[in-house]
Amino acid sequence: MIRRTLSRAGRNMLLAGICLFFGVPLVWLFLAPTKTDGALRAEPPLSFGSWGNIPQAWENLLSFNDGQIVTWLGNSLWYSTASVLIAVLISVPAGYGLAKFHFAGRKAVLFLTLVTMVVPAAAMILPLYLELSAVGLTNTPWAVILPLGFYPFGVYLVYLFATTSIPDSIIEAARIDGASELRIFTTIFLPLSRPSTIMVAFFAFVTCWNAFFLPFIMLTDPAQATIQTGLNLMVRNTNALSGANLTGLIIHEPEVALAALVSISPILVIFLFAQRYLVAGQTLGAEKG
Amino acid sequence: MARRVSRRATFGPAFIAPYVIFLLLFGLVPAAYGVYNAFIVTPVVGDTYYSLTKNFEDVLGDYRLPSATANVAMYLAIWLPLLLIVVFGIALLIDSKRSRFAGFTRFIVYVPGAVTGSAAALLWLFMFSPTVSPISNLLKPLAGSNGLIISNQTLPFVLAVMGIAAGAGGWVVLLLGALSAIPKELIDAARVDAASTWQIIWHVKLPLLRRYAAFILIVSLANGFQVFVEPQVLGAGSIGQISSTWSVNQLVYAYASEEANFGRASALSVVLLAVTVVAAIIVIKKTNFYRVEGH
Repeated sequence: MIRRTLSRAGRNMLLAGICLFFGVPLVWLFLAPTKTDGALRAEPPLSFGSWGNIPQAWENLLSFNDGQIVTWLGNSLWYSTASVLIAVLISVPAGYGLAKFHFAGRKAVLFLTLVTMVVPAAAMILPLYLELSAVGLTNTPWAVILPLGFYPFGVYLVYLFATTSIPDSIIEAARIDGASELRIFTTIFLPLSRPSTIMVAFFAFVTCWNAFFLPFIMLTDPAQATIQTGLNLMVRNTNALSGANLTGLIIHEPEVALAALVSISPILVIFLFAQRYLVAGQTLGAEKG
Repeated sequence: MARRVSRRATFGPAFIAPYVIFLLLFGLVPAAYGVYNAFIVTPVVGDTYYSLTKNFEDVLGDYRLPSATANVAMYLAIWLPLLLIVVFGIALLIDSKRSRFAGFTRFIVYVPGAVTGSAAALLWLFMFSPTVSPISNLLKPLAGSNGLIISNQTLPFVLAVMGIAAGAGGWVVLLLGALSAIPKELIDAARVDAASTWQIIWHVKLPLLRRYAAFILIVSLANGFQVFVEPQVLGAGSIGQISSTWSVNQLVYAYASEEANFGRASALSVVLLAVTVVAAIIVIKKTNFYRVEGH
């Protein structure tokens, strides 16, 4: 009995330690913008400052290039939305075609889909840059939107869904009734595959919003930057975190923490309210065998 | 019957045509163009010319490559074993008794995955900054003479901690899914045979999770090999502390941007791409994680 209580206590202490390691950095990030630069250094790290400091810190952030952070957020939103639209419009029919039709080259497309899906995005950035600069698309939003619209993971998701959850018999029955292939796709498959379509949109959005290397190398004009690359630019140009900010702008640690929070806010919302979807996606790529 | 087959044969390609165009334009064509560029040599003086080996020789002989490779290797050597231990440890601990607290821990471990990109690098810049970090008292003895912790030498450790904080949650969820798929009778049978919790973990659960360890390792290896964002942003936040060619991919970027030498940049990125494509094919062919019928 004593042994059991002890092992339970040990177990809970371990769990508490894990929660501290993973939780404290996030808690800190939420508290930092409530404090002034001085308070952040002087007061205990996990103390709360005041609500009033948050709008002040945002005001200070806007001092960088006439509020360019708003432009960056807008850019991120528009690039991501465009990429997600393209990704969904392309992936859903492709996944359906690969799952429900037999034709020459199908296996090869499936295999290439898996390879391009597993190869890390960073490996393709330079080749993509060379290609797009050869056709004069660098420094235009399309240099970011189009490569991110190619989303093999989305094709794989729809393909898996179509093979496992949509029986061939439904499609055969519709064919016998004389429905055209396009009609079968739009009136039978699309409504049934709604969950997988939402999942594609969802994962594509997370990937697009987080992209760093691609916009970093494709877009050199700060006015075209995304929130990810813009943050990097702001931190570098103001030297906000190295103690010697000589630009005269009031951008220090609390401001950078607030900007970081703003930059992850859409993803954080997704993580908190749609955890079920994310977890489903995590396990989809790895079915038990 | 024959008509139906022909109908299926024409409509399939029609459905996948837009995707195949994108696959070509943003997958195969750039890869091929990268390989082609790797053979174009741009000398400091004179015209460009073709050579099968010159760019590769120059890149492999670059004095910055050994240190960048060593940095990335050091980072992988610290991060990968630690990641496996942490991920398996947490998953098995949560699985051993699925209490409320365990469920809460699972959530807390998962949420940092939302802090990505620039924000993740900045957050950990703060965590390792002795003046503002919540563990500043622990960090102060570790700081260099300039009061900073992040430097070329400490970066592998910093990146390893960052990688675990952000990446462990997703893998823990994956393992928990696999663990709950283990038939309950199997565990009960072991209990009846008087196996202890440790014996069950060692002889029943771990062998069933071996494939997952391989999967996590190869995927992480391929990603870690290409590391770029984190050293770039950490370098922006602590100017002068981190070399701009700290990782191999940063060296690629330096060739392309600062030196405008696309031949060398291509040569090095083709080498990196080849390594990761091989890793990808191993994952697909050997681990059976990606299901495609007929495999």
